[in-house]
Amino acid sequence: MPGLEPIRPQLKLEVLNPDELASIKAATLHVLEQVGIHVPSERALRVFAERGAQVDRESQIVRLPPGLVMDAMNLAPRSYQLCGRAAGTELALDGTASYFCTDGCGVYALDFETGQQRASCKDDVAKMARVSDYLSSIAFYWPMVSAQDHAWTAPLHELDASFNNTVKHVQTETVMGEKAARYAVRMAEVIAGDAADMRARPPLSSLICTIAPLGQDRQGIEAGMVFAEAGIPVGFMSMPNMGLTAPVATGGALAAASAEVVSAMVLMQLVAPGAPTFYSIVASVMDPHSANYINAIAEKYLCHVAGVQIAHDWGVPVLGGAFGAQNLEAATWQHGRDSVYNSLMVPLAGADIVVGLGLLRASTLLVPEQIIFDDEIYHTCRILARGIDTSDDGLALDVIAEVGPRGHYLAQRNTRQHLRSWWFPELSHPQRPMHESAPPDIRRRARAKLDKILREHQTQPLDDAATAELQAILEAAERELDA
Amino acid sequence: MSKEEIITRLAQSVIDGEPEDAVELAKQALDEGLDPLVCINQGLTAGINRVGELFASGEYFLPDLIIGGEAMKAALAVLEPALAGDQERQILGRVVLGTVRGDLHEIGKTLVGTMLTANGFLVTDIGIDKPAADFVSAAREANATLIGASALLTTTMPEQQKIVEELKEAGLRDQVRVMIGGAPITQGWADKIGADGYAEDAISAVALAKQLVGVPV
Ligand code: B1M
Repeated sequence: MPGLEPIRPQLKLEVLNPDELASIKAATLHVLEQVGIHVPSERALRVFAERGAQVDRESQIVRLPPGLVMDAMNLAPRSYQLCGRAAGTELALDGTASYFCTDGCGVYALDFETGQQRASCKDDVAKMARVSDYLSSIAFYWPMVSAQDHAWTAPLHELDASFNNTVKHVQTETVMGEKAARYAVRMAEVIAGDAADMRARPPLSSLICTIAPLGQDRQGIEAGMVFAEAGIPVGFMSMPNMGLTAPVATGGALAAASAEVVSAMVLMQLVAPGAPTFYSIVASVMDPHSANYINAIAEKYLCHVAGVQIAHDWGVPVLGGAFGAQNLEAATWQHGRDSVYNSLMVPLAGADIVVGLGLLRASTLLVPEQIIFDDEIYHTCRILARGIDTSDDGLALDVIAEVGPRGHYLAQRNTRQHLRSWWFPELSHPQRPMHESAPPDIRRRARAKLDKILREHQTQPLDDAATAELQAILEAAERELDA
Repeated sequence: MSKEEIITRLAQSVIDGEPEDAVELAKQALDEGLDPLVCINQGLTAGINRVGELFASGEYFLPDLIIGGEAMKAALAVLEPALAGDQERQILGRVVLGTVRGDLHEIGKTLVGTMLTANGFLVTDIGIDKPAADFVSAAREANATLIGASALLTTTMPEQQKIVEELKEAGLRDQVRVMIGGAPITQGWADKIGADGYAEDAISAVALAKQLVGVPV
């Protein structure tokens, strides 16, 4: 696996000042205490009631006193590690770097051979895991599409394909319900070695959506509780659609979304104090005619940055949202325009982890070479975030003096040494030996790179015993869940 | 206020999306002895048709459509009980609509319901996360001609198939058409499970519903 290259931002972006952050936190606590959250899970209602929340069993609305919220959130760690199954895959969520993953859970794919659109399958998850294993922009892997060639165990098959094809950390957004979560924990134990190693170096984490407005998904939070108890990091994402499932104004949308996320994080801390958890808001604005998300609109970018700041204000790590283009085709003006703001703004705000590269049509369509385009945007952002080097080496006064007026810098060791470590935009500015010309069509260039990775990159395999154990877990799950 | 004026203002209250005005005008119409069926057909229905046109032309947004529909519903609640025994509001068909079991995606389904209502269908929205059996029993109770089932997750699509099967088992398949939709749904899936049709969005859902109940589109 080539080394990871996370974004380590020197430039910083803030869209909320401390007073504005305080008013959003106050509004969130107000919503949690006065309006409440719909929690359709017996187990969760019981936990909340035992710990002093006001629980209405019939409506399943839970109202949380501010003291309870603050105490529980104070137990949530600010920093911890996500790990893969090989050295060099550790991701320290400590505010110094932004680690990106793939986008996930698409439902269609353009076939790798025919290019025809079809339903996604497990082999797509496997192939893209191998590509992600290679790319230095991808620090961890979201199974990119659904394994629709499997029934209720599809989410576990997605994990199987992922663990077998990348050594990097894997995050699931589809394992839901207590039973499936227990199987996923067993799979993670196999990868880590045992339960204790899994806690220390979790190879799996989970992302669960809240149900805007102001609700939780029973299957989601019940899976979340299993993960939290096992030491698998678990995050909650609110996806408010402003005007539809949240107030149309950004401030209110953020306060309501935050109430959803915080209430779920509080629940995790109540069942497993100190459990590694993370926060996420991926908001957008409703298309006023179709009610679809408008995927690329200024308010969305602002809210994504605000979500990162709000999470850090609570003292927890955050998953930010980037990329996620609306368009149908790779390599269009729209794709660049849709992707470029978030993928720069969110890491500049300091998001610890960020989703995700590689899907089109609002996260539903896998176009295999898309990830190569996103990789190039990613690295451009990575360099941008570094800012200007004004160290002695960066100012290079000695070299300026040596070359003096006129002349050139080509013969300088300093030039040679720096250029070696530079990143060049391979797609938009192909580097080729002089006698060879790059394919003129940028999409073909991207595809050629993808095909080369698929042809040449081999992931360090799991040992046979682990592969067999994963298979046995899948078979047990199929017997229980698919029945 | 003249009778014509009351009817025009009833229509306008729907177009403007003012439920309180619509209720007041409906009461006033009954007090003045207007025929409730005329109020519905020439007032409310004319109003909601205009809302539909304004939405289709892009001038109106979804909240205009939804609040207009609410104004109509509020006034109907006043006028319908006053209809004479042999009078009946003309509807295109009775639809039972919901999102299938295990699936909490609500928005697309609700939008389809709003558009069907605005176009003259009587919609019973049974909500989200509903098993096939609930669709079938609701269809029986409502004497529905159409079931609409939404599924947004690939893992919940099989529940749409169950609806078709359970309708057959209940002996209702001949009376009730099944239409399906949601982001992962395709015509191929509809064909495979023996549903009567698939619609890609709320506008085509209306056209499909009309076609399935035999109304010219
Ligand atoms: C009866 O006849 C008909 C006819 C036409 C019909 C019809 C019925 N029903 C719909 N139509 C059609 O007409 C409508 C109007 O034009 C259209 O309806 P739509 O619903 O398509 O369009 C709406 C107007 C707007 N669109 C939407 O509302 C859906 C948008 C996306 C982004 C989406 C949303 C918003 C949500 N989600 Co979810 N969500 C996604 C969606 C991705 C996407 N781009 O579709 C999808 C569907 N979700 C997904 C997932 C994975 C999940 N979601 C979940 C939760 C949520 C939210 C709660 C956050 C939210 C729903 C809020 C709500 N109150 O409804 C979770 C599941 C919860 C559950 N048990 O259902 C969760 C599992 C995430 C998690 N980790 O918790 C993915 C499914 C992947 C798969 N393999 O199936 C997904 C494709 C996004 C992705 N790529 O990850 C047409 O489809």
